[in-house]
Amino acid sequence: MDAVTKLASQRAVVVFSKSSCCMSHTINRLFIDLGVNPSVHELDEDPRGREMERALAKLLGRNQAVPAVFIGGKLVGSTDKIMSLHMSGNLAPMLRNAGAMWL
Amino acid sequence: MANERTLVCGVQGSFHTSTKFFDEAESDYFGELEEALIHGDPITSSHGPKKGIVETARPPTLEIFPSWPMRHQHHQHPTVEQRKSEQSVESSEESGSVKDTANTTSTGVIGGAQSQVQCRGRGATEGEAQKGLVVIMANGAPQRTGAQQPPPSAPQIQYDNSHTEKKKIIAGSTRKDGKLLDAKTLRRLAQNREAARKSRLRKKAYVQQLETSRIRLQQLEHDLQRARTQGMLLAGCGASSGEMSSGAAMFNMDYTNWLEEEGRHVSDLRAGLDAHLIDNNLSSIVDDCITHYDTLFHLKARLAQTDAFHLLTGLWTSPAERCFMWMGGFRPSDLIKIVTPHLDPLTEQQVIRLCSLQQSSQQAEEALWQGFDQLHQFLSATLSSGPLSTDVGADVSNYAGLMDIAIEKISSLENFVRQADHLRRQTLHQLREILTTRQAARCLLAIGEYYRRLRALSSVWATRPREALIGNETASPNTVTDLQAIQQSQYAHYSAF
Repeated sequence: MDAVTKLASQRAVVVFSKSSCCMSHTINRLFIDLGVNPSVHELDEDPRGREMERALAKLLGRNQAVPAVFIGGKLVGSTDKIMSLHMSGNLAPMLRNAGAMWL
Repeated sequence: MANERTLVCGVQGSFHTSTKFFDEAESDYFGELEEALIHGDPITSSHGPKKGIVETARPPTLEIFPSWPMRHQHHQHPTVEQRKSEQSVESSEESGSVKDTANTTSTGVIGGAQSQVQCRGRGATEGEAQKGLVVIMANGAPQRTGAQQPPPSAPQIQYDNSHTEKKKIIAGSTRKDGKLLDAKTLRRLAQNREAARKSRLRKKAYVQQLETSRIRLQQLEHDLQRARTQGMLLAGCGASSGEMSSGAAMFNMDYTNWLEEEGRHVSDLRAGLDAHLIDNNLSSIVDDCITHYDTLFHLKARLAQTDAFHLLTGLWTSPAERCFMWMGGFRPSDLIKIVTPHLDPLTEQQVIRLCSLQQSSQQAEEALWQGFDQLHQFLSATLSSGPLSTDVGADVSNYAGLMDIAIEKISSLENFVRQADHLRRQTLHQLREILTTRQAARCLLAIGEYYRRLRALSSVWATRPREALIGNETASPNTVTDLQAIQQSQYAHYSAF
């Protein structure tokens, strides 16, 4: 959990993902297309990956821990949440507030 | 000596030890008789003892009337007396259990007999009891060897048949013996009855359950058969029943019903717009329509868990819809493009918001498509790994492992279908947010009408007369007439809108 929090606060946009997870790839692509440079942590390539995955699963309240998005050090949610925010036009302001976007 | 006595008495061979019950006095008689027989002296009736001898010469089994003098009682074998007293204690115990009365030891039988004697001995004379005792004693000998039933030579004077002996013993015991014992038996019997009754009730309930289940199963099979045939006919797809999963078939049926109701919502919207209803009333119609779309997304999400392929291949839609489908449904940005012209007049704010919505959906669609494409790449890599030229059977373990990885890859298909539907749902809800009630009503009406036309196109295309289109290029009057007729018939289809 500490590792998660520590990593999450290092950058404006932090995405915990897995190299095998295609939905994580979707989220990353979206941020890149928006002009944001997310800090991506592949849990399957991290030695502490297992416990981080467990911690994230608990935070999200579901089995699937990835992708998990933190903006400005705060947990936003997974794919559903990010998509809803984006479609409602609320994602961009959030990114701007966190200093991740300049447009 | 005992054998001798047996011979002398003419007792049947089984009464080996019966002679032990003859007291000392009797032995004197026998002794005399013996002597008489040996010496050939006739037995004179005047001889008192001889009389007794003669009388005693009769086998004890045929004794009906007590011929033994009363003093016989006093000369009882001490063990008999002891046994009697013992048995009166024992019988109280033994009569308590059927098993014990079935005890093959002579003690048990005697004990039972004892109680039998006792119970009937209430008014019976001692002699009678005595006789009973003797009789049963006589029978006790063979029974000592373990026979439960008295030998065939059992005297008729034995009052009870052997098979009722036990019963009588028990019955006798309920009457005669202490209440404390019977409570135990009675309780046990009552418990048995209760258990049997419960078991019968359980069995009855179980059988009833089976019956209802059987009826339900029949009904379900019938319904399933009906649904299958209906689903097949209405989906209009060429897939045979073997290719479609049961979940997919059910979904097709549900979708057909959904379309029917969608038609009703569209009519309501049109009627509401034409009637110029106040915003509140129209708003409820609009909200109902949006809720109806949510229902479809819910149905799709449910099928996605078991059969994502069915949703993605679009076998539940018409061919024209299927052809231009995006990730199992409409493409959100396309939809916005379709409806925007019908929403005039739009405020500037609305235009900005609509543009923003369209841009967001395009970005989301692109990202989703990228992820989907990556899934495809992974799957491709997995399936093409290893030598493709080898036969499957040659390397089963590798094949199985390969399949496992592939299965894992496509398990996330469900997520993609659901995310695509999520985007579609978000688009509709955002449109509702941005637009006024009347605009929203027009928007939904436009969507409904657009897809109805697309479906109609599918059927027109499928039923178009191909012969008229094949043939010579020159436009002869006949051909022109034919073409006009075809066009007219096609317009007839459109007039239905």
